[in-house]
Amino acid sequence: MATHLLERNSTERSPRTGRVPIGVGLAVGAVAIIVVFAIRALTPSLGKWDLPNQVQDLLTLSISVIIESLPFVILGILLSILVQIWIPDRWIMRVLPGNPVLRRAVISFIGILVPVCECGNVPLARGLIVKGFTVSESITFLLAAPILNPITIVTTGQAFGFSSPIFIARIIGGFLVANIVGWLFSRHPDQDSLMTPRFAAECRLPDPHETGESRWKKSIEIFQHEAATIMPALFLGSLVAGLVQVAVPRALLLGLGSNPIWSILAMMALAFVISVCSNVDSFFILPFVNTFLPGSISAFLIFGPIVDIKMLTLMRTTFSTRVLVILTVVVGLLAAVIGLVVNYVA
Amino acid sequence: MSRNGAWKKLRRWQGVILVVAALVATIWLGVTNQLILYIHPRYIVFTVIMAVIGIALVIGSFVTRHDHDHEDEEKPRRLGVVLSVGATVLTLALAVGLIVVPPATLTTATADQRVINSGSLTAGTKTVDSAASAPTGASAKFTVADWASLLRQTSDETFYRNKAADVIGFVSADTDDPDNVFFVSRFVITCCAVDAQPVGVPVYLPNWKSAFASGAWVQVTGSFDTDPSRSSKQPIVLLPTATKKTTQPSDPYLY
Repeated sequence: MATHLLERNSTERSPRTGRVPIGVGLAVGAVAIIVVFAIRALTPSLGKWDLPNQVQDLLTLSISVIIESLPFVILGILLSILVQIWIPDRWIMRVLPGNPVLRRAVISFIGILVPVCECGNVPLARGLIVKGFTVSESITFLLAAPILNPITIVTTGQAFGFSSPIFIARIIGGFLVANIVGWLFSRHPDQDSLMTPRFAAECRLPDPHETGESRWKKSIEIFQHEAATIMPALFLGSLVAGLVQVAVPRALLLGLGSNPIWSILAMMALAFVISVCSNVDSFFILPFVNTFLPGSISAFLIFGPIVDIKMLTLMRTTFSTRVLVILTVVVGLLAAVIGLVVNYVA
Repeated sequence: MSRNGAWKKLRRWQGVILVVAALVATIWLGVTNQLILYIHPRYIVFTVIMAVIGIALVIGSFVTRHDHDHEDEEKPRRLGVVLSVGATVLTLALAVGLIVVPPATLTTATADQRVINSGSLTAGTKTVDSAASAPTGASAKFTVADWASLLRQTSDETFYRNKAADVIGFVSADTDDPDNVFFVSRFVITCCAVDAQPVGVPVYLPNWKSAFASGAWVQVTGSFDTDPSRSSKQPIVLLPTATKKTTQPSDPYLY
């Protein structure tokens, strides 16, 4: 709160620039961070907390999801800043074909250039909408990029082999799902209504290029804004994911492993609950390869990056609840169909 | 200040509080070599680098003033307000947990919930052939995960003859014969603590609960043979020659 008083004072002094004196801002920020750091460093010496095991594990699991996702979120925000502030509009818009279907197909491969997983993609997709993408195009990007990016492709290939049915199903399936869902949403006459009213209002604001602020300042503002939007969603999603993992016995899911249909649904349920990023989920699922059929693993690898607890809370920052329900159902059905095909073919 | 104004201010600072908590916790865990409690070692460098960049951006935010607020939300409904207050309180509670609760490994609660030895391990574990041809004495270096993998592959007691075991793990009771059989357990991690798979070596030690509690870290030496327990479903168990309490290793998970 102290910084706010400072801000107000400085505004009165210099209303035009609207800045805290750099030295003061830096000092307050640095001191605040050092204090938090000191608390973190000192509390373990006070001894163990003796929390009940379930509570301790809820905390450990939730923190694990946060720490695993955090670097990708920061990377995603950095890329979003890059797209919104530093890359000229024409670079992105001119290279894309005019035909909507081709355009979405090309957009599916943007992930090759920006290898972030799904949590980093949310701020980036928001940046792309601000930049002029339609909602359906940004959804295509959001669905395709976590799967069609070099890190995910390499880790999936390492885990299962580059010619395995699981690998092929994931790559082709990811592309198909993203484009089918993108096409579906492009049929909607009022694209703005697919977004939350708040985000739609932000998109109608004038292009930040138009105002006279420095690019660095605008970059920092985007960071603030995205962190304020994404972090609560990430924390909440991680907490719920941790809670479900403590509460739902794993044996329940594993018991369904050998039935071709139930094992697909069980794997999708596991993907929904576990909420790990697409860059690392292949290693997660590897120990289950002998327990579950290959189609079920494929369904996990296609469904998980697009729909899970953490991802739904993140996407809720941008898209309306109706869009998320439709998206979940359609992606779930498509992933299940692809899984069934793999189960019967492979 | 109106209640609405204070609420908006809290909402705006919520992001900063959460990001600072997460970044500071990450860097501190990295510096004190405890990130391995949450993620696989291969992600540590990337995670710490991004956290340092994040801290730089946070400090930058303190310098820049946020001057255009476009927070004209639609008028919230009552239920919406309750949900949003609840969610904010929960996220702040988790942030406090990140900063003040000492970091810990997963406990026996997760080992029980995920069922010991229920996953099928592939990486880094021993096969029967490689173990059979290993020189005498090599088996003392086998980890809990190695033994768990061998026990899954064969229950032929002649295979286990002359193979001394020396393993460290936490105690977790066998569900079928909780008084006489326990598992020396470890979690195996492929990506992060979220995917931890519990593995364990069954140990036959009647009335073990008088020696140590569930969840305690122990070192057990001995050799494997047919399970003397009547109710336990484990065909082969470790018959200990010595058990002693030990402290939790600094890298409690196996990979």
